[in-house]
Amino acid sequence: MRVVKFEKKNTEKLFDVLSRFGEVWSPMEKGESYSYQKIEDSNNFIFHEEVTRTILPEKKLLLPQKFPTLKFNSKKYEKPNEEIPTKILFGIHNCGISALNILDEFYTTDFVDADYQQRRNKLIIVGVSCIADEHCFCDKTNTNIVEKGYDIFFADLCNYYLVWIGTSKGDDIIRMGEDMGIFDANIPGDVTNKYAEYRKRNRESYCNDIDLEGSTDLMELSHDAEFWQELGDICLSCGQCTMVCPTCTCYNVIDEIDLNKDTGQRIRYWDSCLFKDFSLTAGDHNFRAARSERLKLWYTHKLKAFIGKFGAPSCVGCGRCIVTCPVDINIKTVAEKLKKKRAL
Amino acid sequence: MSNKPTLGIFGFTGCAGCQLALLNCEDQLIDLFEAADIKVFYEAMSNNDDGAEVDIALVEGSINTDKQKEELFHIRKKAKTLVAFGSCASYGCVQAMAYGDGKWEERFRKVYGDVEFAVGKAFEAQPIHKFVKVDATIPGCSPATHQMLTAITKLLNGNLPVYTNAPVCLECKLHENECLLNKGILCLGPLTQGGCTAPCISHNTPCVGCWGIIEEANHSAEIELLIENGYKIEDIIRKFRIFGGSKISEQYTKLWRL
Amino acid sequence: MRNNQYEYSQHHIPEQPHNHESQVPIMMRIISKKDLSPDVRFFQTVPTTDYRYENLNYKPGQFMSLSISGSGEAPFSITSSPTRKGIIEFAIRKVGKFTEKLFTLKDGDLLGLRGPFGNGFDVEKFLGKDIIIIAGGLGAAPLRSLLLYILDNKEQFGRLIYLYGSRNVEEILYKGDFFELLSSDQIELYISVDENNKGFEDKIHRGRVTELFSKIGKINPDNTVAAICGPPIMYKFVVQELLKLNMNKNDIFLSLERRMKCGVGKCGHCIIDYVYTCVNGPVFTYWDVLRMQDLI
Repeated sequence: MRVVKFEKKNTEKLFDVLSRFGEVWSPMEKGESYSYQKIEDSNNFIFHEEVTRTILPEKKLLLPQKFPTLKFNSKKYEKPNEEIPTKILFGIHNCGISALNILDEFYTTDFVDADYQQRRNKLIIVGVSCIADEHCFCDKTNTNIVEKGYDIFFADLCNYYLVWIGTSKGDDIIRMGEDMGIFDANIPGDVTNKYAEYRKRNRESYCNDIDLEGSTDLMELSHDAEFWQELGDICLSCGQCTMVCPTCTCYNVIDEIDLNKDTGQRIRYWDSCLFKDFSLTAGDHNFRAARSERLKLWYTHKLKAFIGKFGAPSCVGCGRCIVTCPVDINIKTVAEKLKKKRAL
Repeated sequence: MSNKPTLGIFGFTGCAGCQLALLNCEDQLIDLFEAADIKVFYEAMSNNDDGAEVDIALVEGSINTDKQKEELFHIRKKAKTLVAFGSCASYGCVQAMAYGDGKWEERFRKVYGDVEFAVGKAFEAQPIHKFVKVDATIPGCSPATHQMLTAITKLLNGNLPVYTNAPVCLECKLHENECLLNKGILCLGPLTQGGCTAPCISHNTPCVGCWGIIEEANHSAEIELLIENGYKIEDIIRKFRIFGGSKISEQYTKLWRL
Repeated sequence: MRNNQYEYSQHHIPEQPHNHESQVPIMMRIISKKDLSPDVRFFQTVPTTDYRYENLNYKPGQFMSLSISGSGEAPFSITSSPTRKGIIEFAIRKVGKFTEKLFTLKDGDLLGLRGPFGNGFDVEKFLGKDIIIIAGGLGAAPLRSLLLYILDNKEQFGRLIYLYGSRNVEEILYKGDFFELLSSDQIELYISVDENNKGFEDKIHRGRVTELFSKIGKINPDNTVAAICGPPIMYKFVVQELLKLNMNKNDIFLSLERRMKCGVGKCGHCIIDYVYTCVNGPVFTYWDVLRMQDLI
C-alpha cells in the first residue's frame, strides 16, 4: 500500500486540497458534543483526535435523516433527479469506517439500495486515528484497526502523520497535495518503530472493561431470560439508541401530497425498532407488542447476527449507545446481564 | 357546482390558536381555499353556512357545556369525516389539567360562584372523542404547520392522515440534539406524541408534552430517572399533568394517589 | 454450537427484478374486480405502458407492493399463477386505511406496483411429488397461485390434495371455482367451515380444517410436500397432523405474515431474529420454525 508523510503544520493547506474535490464534512462542536457538519472555513478544520464520537454517526451523510426517495403524480412514480454533491468525510475514526463497511455490505448486497449507492459513490472517506475515551470499546469488537473502507487514513505517529492511501481516488488527492508540497513520499527511517508505538498506544488507550466474549451464543441462550422484561420495564422507547447507532439501518416511508396539486413525494426517514408500531401489520396484529421483545430484537442485531446472509454481529464499539441512553440500557449493561445469566 | 371537497372548521373551548395556526400558513392559504370548498371557518370568514353537510370537519377545542355537546352531535351528523384538530379536541389540553380529580365542581364554584350559564350546563373539559366517533386526530398545541397541512391535504384527497406512533425523541434526534434528560433536565420528549419536529428541544428548551401522551409512554421509568436526577415527585407529576389531559388520568390513575 | 450462517439450502432467493423496478413502482391498470366475500375483493391488473412487466415471471407464494398515489403503499400476495401470464391478480381484505382506499378504486384506475418480492414456494422442489395444500381463510389467496400452477402442470406432479378451512360459507374465497373442482379428478379437495354448513352438507364438512386429514387416506411421507398458509393460530395444529403422517420437517412449507414494507430486505419491519422475511421468506420450512426463535 502506498504511504506518505504529512505534518500537522500543513493542516490549512490540506483543507484547500480537500475542498477542491468536494464539500468537506468534519466534526464540529454542537453544545457539549460534536456533529458532522459542512466545513466552510479552514479555521474550523481541525484534526479531532480527541473527539471520539459525534451525536449522529456517519450514516447521516449516506442516508439523510429524512429525504424524498420518490416523487409521483397520479400517473407515475420516479426517482427525484437530485444533484448529489461530492462529500469528503474528514475525521472519521476506525469504528466509523468499520460501520460504513457493514453498511456497504448491507445496502449493496442482493438488492442494491439506489438511495444509498448514489450517495456512497460520491463520498470520499478520509480517516484519522483517535485516542479512545472511557466509553470506547472497538478493541473488543475488532474494529480498532481497519484494513479497508477508507480512501485516505491519517495515523498519528506523534511527530508526523503516516498517511495510508486506500483507493485511486485517495491517490488523486494525495498527488495534488504532493504538488503543493504538503505530502512527502519519503518516509523517515524510524517509521516502523513509530508505527509499532502507535499500535501499542492504541491498544493501551482502552479502559472500557466491557466483556463481549461469546456474546453471540449467549444471546441465543438468553432468548427467554428474565432480564429482558426488567430492561423492558425501564426502557423509555425513545429510540435514541437506534438513531445514534452507526449500523442501524431501519427506515420507514410515508407518502406526502402537495396541496392543490397532483404531485407528491415518498419521504424516507429513519425508523426505530423500539417504537411500538414497528412490527404492526394491517389488521392490528403486532408481532412485537412488548418493549422487552423490541429491545431483544435490537440487541440480537448488535450482538448476535445482523444481516441474515452474513450472520455477523454489527456492533463496532463506538460507545454512542452508552453515552446516549438516558436509562443506561446499552451494549455494556446488556453484555453484563448476559454474563450473569451464564453464571447461574 | 364545484367538485371540491367541502370543509368545515369548528371551534369549541380553547384559545382558538389552532385555527389561528392554520390562518398563519400564509404561503399555502390560497392553495387551501382553492383545494377545498370551505363552508364554515368563523375565525376567517363572515359568510358561514352552519347547516351545510361537509366532507371534512376539523373540530377544535374541548367540550365544556351541554350546548357544545349538542352542537358537536350536529357536526358529527353533517360530516363524513370528523377530525379532532389540536390538543384540546384530542385529549383536553391545559383546561383538562386536573381532569378526573373529582374536585371540578368545587373549583368551578370558586371561580364563578353559584351562577346559571346562558350557554347551558357546564362540566369538566372533555375531549371530543368522549361524545362522538373521531375518524382522525391532528394533535398539537398548536399543530405544526407542516404536519397540519400534510394531514389536511391527505384528508382533502380522501385519505386519513398517517399517524406515526413515535415520540418527540425521534425528530429531536433527527435534528441531532443532545438529549436533555442526560443533562438532568426534566424533558417529556419520550412520553409525548411526536410530529412537532421538536422545535423546543432544538432551541434547548425541554419538551412540555403539548402534543399529548404517546400510546406506550413509560411514565414510571421516567419518574425513576427524574427522581435520580434530584426532582421532587410533586414537581414531576405537576409537569405531567399540564398537558396530560384526560389521557394521564385514564392511563395512570395511580399517579393521582401520589 | 450455533450455526451463524443462515441456511440457504432450503430455498434460494429467486431471480430478482431489476434494481430500478424493485424500488420505483411501475403503473398497473385495474381491469376488473369482484367481491369474493363480504370483505375480500379480487383485483385483476395489467401493466400500462411498461412492456417489461408483460412477461413478468414470479413464483407462487411471492408478493408485490401496491401503491395508490398519495395514499402510500402496502404488500399483497399474488393470487394469480405465473403459468397464466399478462394479468396479475390480488385477493385483498379490507382491514386498514390503505385497503379502504383501494376498495374505492374503479376499473381503469391506476396502481403502482413493485416486485415480485420474497422467496415464494420453491416449486422446482415439488416436481414429481405428491402435494398437500392446507389453506385457512385468506391463506387461500397466495395458495391459489400454487394451486393453479400445479393444475396447469399437473403431469409433472403426483397427487394433489387441497384442504381448505373457512370460518363460514360466506367467507369461502373462489367458492364457485372450488365447488367445480370438487368433481374434478385432478384434485382431492375437501372444504370445512367452523360455523354452519347448512345447505352445503354434501360439499362442506362442518368442523376444523384439521379434521379433514381423516379424509385423505394414506400418503407416502417420503414423496410428499405440504404447503400451508392461514391465520397464525392454524399452523401449530396443521403441522401436528402432518407430523402424524410422518412427514419430513423440511418438506413442510409455511407461508408467514409479517409487516413487509420495502420488500428488499432493508427497511427492517419484517425482521424475525436476523432474517428478513421479505427476502428470505415469507415461505419457511417447519425446520426453520424450530431452529429460529419467534417465527410462529
